Amino acid sequence: MIATIRSEWIKLRSVRSNVTTTIVAVVIPLAITLLSVTFMRTSGIGENTLSDFVLGTGSIAVLLIGVIGVLCITQEYSQGTIRLTLAATPKRTRVYLAKFVVMALVGALVTGFIILASTTVGSIILESRDVSGPHTGPDSGSAFVAMILMGSLVALLGMAIGTLTRNPPSAITTLVLWPLLVEGIVGALLSLAFEDNVTRWMPFQTGLNSMFAELPEGGFGRWGSLGYFAAWVLLVTVIAERGLKRRDA
Amino acid sequence: MITVDGLTKRYGSTVAVDNLSFSVEPGVVTGFLGPNGSGKSTTMRCMIGLDRMQAGRALFDGKPYSSLRNPLHEVGALLDAGNAHSGRTARNHLRWMAASNGLPAKRVDEVLDIVGLQQVAKKRVGQFSLGMKQRLGIASVLLGDPRVVILDEPANGLDPEGIRWIREMLKHLASQGRAVLVSSHLLSEMALIADELVVIGKGRLIEQCTVDQFISRHARKWVVVRSPQLGTLVDVARAKGMQVATNETTAEFHGVESEIIGELAAANGVVLHELSTQTGSLEDAFLEVTATSVEYHGQSEAAK
Repeated sequence: MIATIRSEWIKLRSVRSNVTTTIVAVVIPLAITLLSVTFMRTSGIGENTLSDFVLGTGSIAVLLIGVIGVLCITQEYSQGTIRLTLAATPKRTRVYLAKFVVMALVGALVTGFIILASTTVGSIILESRDVSGPHTGPDSGSAFVAMILMGSLVALLGMAIGTLTRNPPSAITTLVLWPLLVEGIVGALLSLAFEDNVTRWMPFQTGLNSMFAELPEGGFGRWGSLGYFAAWVLLVTVIAERGLKRRDA
Repeated sequence: MITVDGLTKRYGSTVAVDNLSFSVEPGVVTGFLGPNGSGKSTTMRCMIGLDRMQAGRALFDGKPYSSLRNPLHEVGALLDAGNAHSGRTARNHLRWMAASNGLPAKRVDEVLDIVGLQQVAKKRVGQFSLGMKQRLGIASVLLGDPRVVILDEPANGLDPEGIRWIREMLKHLASQGRAVLVSSHLLSEMALIADELVVIGKGRLIEQCTVDQFISRHARKWVVVRSPQLGTLVDVARAKGMQVATNETTAEFHGVESEIIGELAAANGVVLHELSTQTGSLEDAFLEVTATSVEYHGQSEAAK
């Protein structure tokens, strides 16, 4: 198992497009936060401002990380290496688990780095603009933890979708349109029919909500929302892993 | 050694491989011969567990591929040299494969050396020519020093130098006592590389035998005669019911040995300037045998 994980790690970092995608996933949210605290009017900056900006970029950050998850499996199909992978490791569950471990760690570490870099450099910028701290709100700690876990979960979801579609464009489209379009439409239709707050049953939206400093009314709470999304990721993962085992490579 | 027993693979209602059985012995190169679409690649994919077979089994020294803990140590398979990420360097391509089976990075440099790619080890595979990719593929086969080697159409698209390199590499691997199975539809190439043949058509086994046996059994033989009294000899032969084709200076006698014709000439006082036996190429033998299998298939389709 350790050998398979090592092999997957070498695969991930030895392809330039994976590294580039990771850099983009870090730079875009980081730049948004830093540009915002650099140019925002000083009068509008409160003690939650920096953490709110960091958490506000969370959705973009985790979706970009999800793309890394998509690529780690779809590039094996587009480049034909999946056949070498499964020939080298005939136990397909082991292959999926190794990728799972690597992507969970990469998702968490990249998100953690975004948070660390954004808050550290953001604070320095604010100090240099004579805005005294603290710059992160009292609840931001648990929200940051939720964001790190979301980084892992969306990476794993991207990988599961990629395993099912086997091709990068359709997997990335599915990953991005799911929260942006599908849940919006389904949620809107359902809320016409039911009085209850049905949008909380939309998994992706609920997962993204877990990263808010102030949670929306009528939801599952931070950890409940995260757990609900995690259950969906697990479901798609199980379907994907069974597909990998069953289908011809 | 490899034992394939009753392997059957269907895609929907299409039967790609039909109850195929053959064996591959160590120490010799076994050619896996069949026209395009006859099921060679499917058989190989099923053998190493990439595609699921509906019936039968493929054993490597008695064990199915899926039960091998570190398969690269037992079986080196190259199904398509294009199966490499174009953005990865040759060295990294081999490194992840080596790591997956617990092989050290040192082994990667060794196999790069064996196939002569050490100079371009840090170049990306996308910049490689087909011949270089084929060498990289062979390097990946050698990684675990396996006792069984499986190659699917390794000579495809290579220039003459590349083909010669592959040919000598395969003979070398077999001479070290490995079991080597190599598929091809290039029959002339097979005659040069292989000792044994497994011939298939439409997913069915046609024959397993040596190359020489295959040729003598299936290739057409005829006797060519050149003589100033050709007309006399042809008339005598035809009177005996032999099939003879003539042109201005020579005659071809089909279905007889040269001894018979020589004795016939002597008995009739015919002077011979040439008496020789001609054998059709492996190509001819192969086309003849697979043509039959195609017809057979057509009939069975019609019978439904």
